[in-house]
Amino acid sequence: MKWLRMYKLLVIASLRSRMQYKFNFWLTAAMTALVSVVEFLLLAVILTKFGHIKGWSLAEAGYLYATLTISKALYRSLASDVHHLEKYLVSGELDNLLLRPIPVLLGLMSQNFSFRIGEFLQGIALLAICMRMLFLEGQLTWAAIPLTVVVIGSGALLLFGIGLLTATIGFWLTRIEQLQNITEDAARTAVQYPLTIYPRWMQGLLLTFIPVAFASYIPSLYIIRGQGGLWLIAASLAVAVAVFGLGLLMWRLGIARYQSTGS
Amino acid sequence: MITVSRLTKQFKTAPRKEGRFKALRAMLSRDYGIKEAVNDISFSVEKGEFVGYIGPNGAGKSTTIKMLSGILHPTSGEVRIDGLSPHSQRRQVSRRLGVLFGQRTQLWWDLPVRDSFDILAAMYDIAPTVKTLRIKELCALLEMDPFMDTPVRKLSLGQRMRADIAAALLHDPDILFLDEPTIGLDVTAKRNIRAFLRTINLELGKTILLTTHDMDDIEQLCSRVIVINDGRIGFDGTIDSLRDRIGLPTIIRVTYRKEMALPKDDWPMRLTNRTGLTLTVECNRKQIRAMDALRLLENLGEIEDVHMDEPDFEEIIHRVY
Repeated sequence: MKWLRMYKLLVIASLRSRMQYKFNFWLTAAMTALVSVVEFLLLAVILTKFGHIKGWSLAEAGYLYATLTISKALYRSLASDVHHLEKYLVSGELDNLLLRPIPVLLGLMSQNFSFRIGEFLQGIALLAICMRMLFLEGQLTWAAIPLTVVVIGSGALLLFGIGLLTATIGFWLTRIEQLQNITEDAARTAVQYPLTIYPRWMQGLLLTFIPVAFASYIPSLYIIRGQGGLWLIAASLAVAVAVFGLGLLMWRLGIARYQSTGS
Repeated sequence: MITVSRLTKQFKTAPRKEGRFKALRAMLSRDYGIKEAVNDISFSVEKGEFVGYIGPNGAGKSTTIKMLSGILHPTSGEVRIDGLSPHSQRRQVSRRLGVLFGQRTQLWWDLPVRDSFDILAAMYDIAPTVKTLRIKELCALLEMDPFMDTPVRKLSLGQRMRADIAAALLHDPDILFLDEPTIGLDVTAKRNIRAFLRTINLELGKTILLTTHDMDDIEQLCSRVIVINDGRIGFDGTIDSLRDRIGLPTIIRVTYRKEMALPKDDWPMRLTNRTGLTLTVECNRKQIRAMDALRLLENLGEIEDVHMDEPDFEEIIHRVY
């Protein structure tokens, strides 16, 4: 509870800092919203053109895309600067966080807070539309709603875990931007689409090495297509917790290797 | 209060390669050099001491401070602050420490000074009544009233340093680590900060470890000096014994009007250079007063111009070895 209060306080401070530059603040918000709208339009064009992707209908693919978008918005809102750890390592800014009687990761999560309102709105709207279509076609029951909430939460945790693991590698390698492009951006973009469109080796990669398929694809198989069973959701949650736990462990090891900068 | 035993910090460096494709080979190579930023140092500091930790750039001062405050983990050896490790018990130790890095602010850059204090107060669980009182005290002592509501990025260096010192003291720590608290400040600002530090050391009994490049800081504040060079401690003792050890060499440059006599061998000063009509001599102020030195120089011929240089800091450090 105490840490939650601390987190809230730091987030407010960070928001107030950003609000000092109001034009930049609103422009950033508008631009991110615009980018995600364009991204989805692209998907919509593909789907309306072909009707379905490898047996996935428009509504199903939309559901997959929407849950992942919300998960990502959640992760990047709540832990935005974990993705930018490199900046702290190169400039030695992590010093300031290490001097304070709060967990360093919590401090980092609260820096440069950005609420990804565009992604949230777009994700939730799309999710509502797709779930309604699936209801009407009888593919979903009411139980899908709480399950979807769980999936979004577990997906956010998984993305956070993968992001944290990648970021902590920075304690060893310092520069990690390109690695993040692969493990975070490329991998996540890949699983916005049904996994079956990819060759086998790539499916394997996204299920094991960078298990981002567990964020929304695997649980969606059960929720909207009725494949497998409830255990798919449990497995996804377990993968998310495991990856995040590993991230925390690596974080602890990494902090001890932090080199700061000369002064 | 602070115990440092056999503390060592090594940094890995990639060695430069020679010959063709050296950049590529350096990138692929797995071997690396080891630089010992801090090498097997031990010391302890008692409550209420004011210790100057000095040395040339790159000597390992900041690395030591960063290890003491829990930012860097040592390669070997250990640090104890009130018996606690700043690494495995970082959060507990951080409550007892006030740390200032003069080169970099710890305040929220875009927010008013007051807001930074509020955030810090919350981090350290300072009760609201205590907080108000303490901010008022610090505000009066450091004369911060005029800029309490100014964003940190708009402060002058002197103001920012005062605000940073106040921030380091807000949670009333017993120990202060100050890394170059007077760097870049003008004479007045330096004097004010020194007066403040002396007060909190003498009257509030704060233990202070200070690094600086300013010899006046050391002379006016520190009861004890630790000199570090190349990661090793070269001297640890009182300021008086440091002075005894190296003397206080003053350099006097005298230009004569016409050809002057040269000093004899039993002269109490040392002639270091002679160019034309200009002599450069070095004298130890402990042995000879400035006036006497000038009188001796005047005996050599009619003086046109005199220039005196106080001992250079780097020079003094050099002499410790």
